[in-house]
Amino acid sequence: MRPDVELIGVTKRYGHGPAAVDGISLSIPAASYCCLLGPSGCGKTSTLRMIAGHETVSEGDILLSGRNVTLLPPAARGTAMMFQSYALFPHLTALENIAFGLRMRGVGKAERLAQAAGFLKLVQLEKMADRLPAQLSGGQQQRVALARALITRPKVLLLDEPLSALDPFLRTQMREELKRLQRELGITFIHVTHGQEEAMALSDIAVVMDHGRIAQAAHPREIFEKPASAFVARFIGGHNVLDLPGGRFAVRTDRTRLTPVPEGGASDGASLAGQVTTVEYQGAAVRVVVRAGDGQTAEALLPDGLFHAAPVAPGEAATLGWAAQDAHPLSQTA
Amino acid sequence: MSRWFPWLQAAPLALVLATFLLLPIALIVVVSFYDYDSFSLIPDFVLTNYQEVFASPVTWQTYLKTLWFAGLTWLVTFALGFWLAYYLAFVVQDATWRTVLFILCTVPFWTSNLIRMIAWVPFLGRNGIMNNTLMGAGLIEQPLEFLLFSDFSVILAFVHLYTLFMVVPIFNTMMRIDRRLLEAARDAGAGFWQTLWCVILPLCKPGIGIGSIFVVVLVMGDFATVRLMSGGQSASVGLMISNQIGLMQYPAAAANAVVLLAMVLLLVAAMLRAIDIRKEL
Amino acid sequence: MTEQKKTQPSLTRRGALALAGAALGSGAVTGFPTLWAQNIRNVTLRQIGTGVSGLNPIAEQVKKDLGFTLQLTVTDTDAVAQRAATQARSFDIADIEYFSIKKVYPTGALQPIDTKRIKLADKIVPIFTTGRLTPESAPGQGTSPFSVGFVESKDAKTFAGKRTDLMTLMPTVYNADTLGIRPDLVGRPITHWKDLLDPAFKGKASILNIPGIGIMDAAMVAESAGIVKYGDKGNMTRAEIDKTIAFLIEAKRAGQFRAFWKSFDESVNLMASGEVVIQSMWSPAVTAVRSRGIPCVYQPLAEGYRAWGSGLGLMRHLSGLELDAAYEYMNWYLSGWCGAFLNRQGYYSAVLETAKANMSENEWGYWMEGKPATADIVAPDGKVMEKAGAVRDGGSFTDRMGKVVCWNSVMNEDRYMIQKWNEFIAA
Repeated sequence: MRPDVELIGVTKRYGHGPAAVDGISLSIPAASYCCLLGPSGCGKTSTLRMIAGHETVSEGDILLSGRNVTLLPPAARGTAMMFQSYALFPHLTALENIAFGLRMRGVGKAERLAQAAGFLKLVQLEKMADRLPAQLSGGQQQRVALARALITRPKVLLLDEPLSALDPFLRTQMREELKRLQRELGITFIHVTHGQEEAMALSDIAVVMDHGRIAQAAHPREIFEKPASAFVARFIGGHNVLDLPGGRFAVRTDRTRLTPVPEGGASDGASLAGQVTTVEYQGAAVRVVVRAGDGQTAEALLPDGLFHAAPVAPGEAATLGWAAQDAHPLSQTA
Repeated sequence: MSRWFPWLQAAPLALVLATFLLLPIALIVVVSFYDYDSFSLIPDFVLTNYQEVFASPVTWQTYLKTLWFAGLTWLVTFALGFWLAYYLAFVVQDATWRTVLFILCTVPFWTSNLIRMIAWVPFLGRNGIMNNTLMGAGLIEQPLEFLLFSDFSVILAFVHLYTLFMVVPIFNTMMRIDRRLLEAARDAGAGFWQTLWCVILPLCKPGIGIGSIFVVVLVMGDFATVRLMSGGQSASVGLMISNQIGLMQYPAAAANAVVLLAMVLLLVAAMLRAIDIRKEL
Repeated sequence: MTEQKKTQPSLTRRGALALAGAALGSGAVTGFPTLWAQNIRNVTLRQIGTGVSGLNPIAEQVKKDLGFTLQLTVTDTDAVAQRAATQARSFDIADIEYFSIKKVYPTGALQPIDTKRIKLADKIVPIFTTGRLTPESAPGQGTSPFSVGFVESKDAKTFAGKRTDLMTLMPTVYNADTLGIRPDLVGRPITHWKDLLDPAFKGKASILNIPGIGIMDAAMVAESAGIVKYGDKGNMTRAEIDKTIAFLIEAKRAGQFRAFWKSFDESVNLMASGEVVIQSMWSPAVTAVRSRGIPCVYQPLAEGYRAWGSGLGLMRHLSGLELDAAYEYMNWYLSGWCGAFLNRQGYYSAVLETAKANMSENEWGYWMEGKPATADIVAPDGKVMEKAGAVRDGGSFTDRMGKVVCWNSVMNEDRYMIQKWNEFIAA
């Protein structure tokens, strides 16, 4: 499939410091949900803003549907952006906020308000049409922002940490809704987040960034199962990154077990002996952290039944083990 | 006791305001109904002072002129003040530079009112710098007389003085505008003027309102600038009141003051209706 | 007067001359009563007046000669009259204009002055005592000092109109006003008040915007141009006011006036900058323009002068020691030092012969006799006011005060006039 969004060697420099975005290339297939993921300062927001046209590109090109938009203003790109903390116009009602893009395009008042009402319905806020942003809850504001971004019928919707201002319950709910909308509208969403859980739940393609570069871009399952580097493994979580005699490996914590001798394990280094430092009860699972004699720590996420069958306590000696095929080798450099 | 505490806290200011603001205004209202002769006030209740205010075409003319000065000054200070504030808030990025430019804006206030106005004479006068420059450049043959002692010079002096009162509140509201709103507008396809008209201007309304109240109230009550800059050839209500006080026609002056006060209050009320300044306060 | 002095007098060679003047002026009286010579030092007299004669050197000289303190408050003409009428107890002596006294005296704020206690009462210039400078000269129109100078009794509210033993004010300073011109810019001789309206001076003329005085100057112009014929310029009828204002408005609309001035400094600036070449002016303002090296003439005109005068009035509450001190102060005022001091500013003083004794022959000749200065005329601060050979504009005292055709006035139709004047300004 022809990619919808393509970045070719895109670089962003502010002043004379190191590049904030360092020559990244990426192509995002049409109608996919893409998450840009990474710690703060990794360049994900700059990348998003360059795609949106709110930030100039220092080097490289940005293509949308095969068209080079590098030098085009935001409105001419066919993108729309949903801003962090929404940036709703405080002096306009929910309905007028949504209609704003049409107003700028010179659509008549009756026409644009009618269309806006339709989008308001799409985000299930019909009753809030005449409220000002200050009179809406955070979740409601977010829906309005979403509708405002969608009304210009963009080919690509750009979302800058859209869920970070919501409480956890709402976040999950909105997450589902974003995914549903993306599916229904059949357009590409590019979503910046620093939460790996969010990225896992949403993405068709997740792009993990570090220091202005792409550390890994793939389906989340591939990333989780085959992290490309220790950084990726650590960032997405759920992995122990261990230096073992055979090299550096990532081992999923849920595949790590607490056994004297791991099942089917050999003495090929698929175990780590040490002392339990932490036992954390998490409901369905129990997290056990073990510090080895060489200073490395690793943890096991044990199903609760398994743990309670043979419990350990902090301070006790224990050995962590895993199946050899579960140890995913990492390149030594990362 | 605690129920009374808020009242107690408000009492000192209320007392000061009552003594030094409400009481004098009440006195002015009372005196405006007095009769008078050359040197004394005659306590009475007569309407002649108001009749003279409303019956005389001169007062109407003077009130209209004053409104005209206020309106024109407002227009120019707003046009100037808005762009100056815009420049300071959105174009200038460096905080130090912004402060320096702000201080520059206050330069007109570094000297006394009188000196400032006297200084206009060598600049705008018939043989002043302006005329000499223009004639030297061959742009004009004859000195431009309207530069000084005219409505032009009155407005000029007002603008020179009061633009700052427009700049500061507008600047304040502009600084409070979330910069992402501008990006959001741009993202929605708004050009420079559309962003200005649909986002910045509406969000600056409180600042514009406060600035407008400053400027209009100051101009409406002015008497020194109008007299000196028009060379005494223009009248304003303030000047009329000051003349009446000078001639000890206190009740007439009081009646004019009451009418002026009412007019200014109405203007302010109208502005407050149009613009909710509470957002700023 | 709203007039303010420009030259700051200092006190060269004052000592001996002052003493000589005092001795000469006091005539038969040999000295001050010794009875209260001691406790009079504790007396403080509070005087309110304008900048014309509210001068610190005078207060300093009072302290020196009489021993008591003269506390001066200086403000403008209107405010002096206002405070005299409304806050009479806040000071002891009002240095006030004659035209103001016409309104202030009937309020009962002042007590009459017993001329028997003024030693030089008979030496006062006859303008104040008979209404005429010489028996032949005509009394001017308007509120002449003589017309409001005397009352019949201590409690009278009306003026006597003739000389009595009770004066309302003891005259201090007076002068004859005319138009000031820039001889280098007018381009022709100026001879009449109507020249202010000459189209050649379109946009270059000015008139003062103090209604009571401005209307008089306007009347001088209107009469000179033959536009209005007045019964009494100092007391116009409504019809005369209407006509005068109508002609002013016409001239204003035609662009004749560059500006209207209200304060001394404004008039000086207008003239010095060349914005205006002909305008109403006060004598010290002319001097101030000239002292900048800019030619300016206080032009005598065929129709004559508009004059003004002021004097000291005793507030009604004065009594006892303070009243005695006030009389002592008034006697001192006429005794010479003060007269000379004021004459040197270009004003005139009430008793001429004592003043003469305190002035040099050159000074007397220049200021009072219209003679060319035999040496530089030096301002009290040592600055040269006029070079040797200069002649005073308008000539001698008799030439100038003899041609006074009207005095600053308060009209019966005052309130109406003010209204119309505002109309003119707003037009």
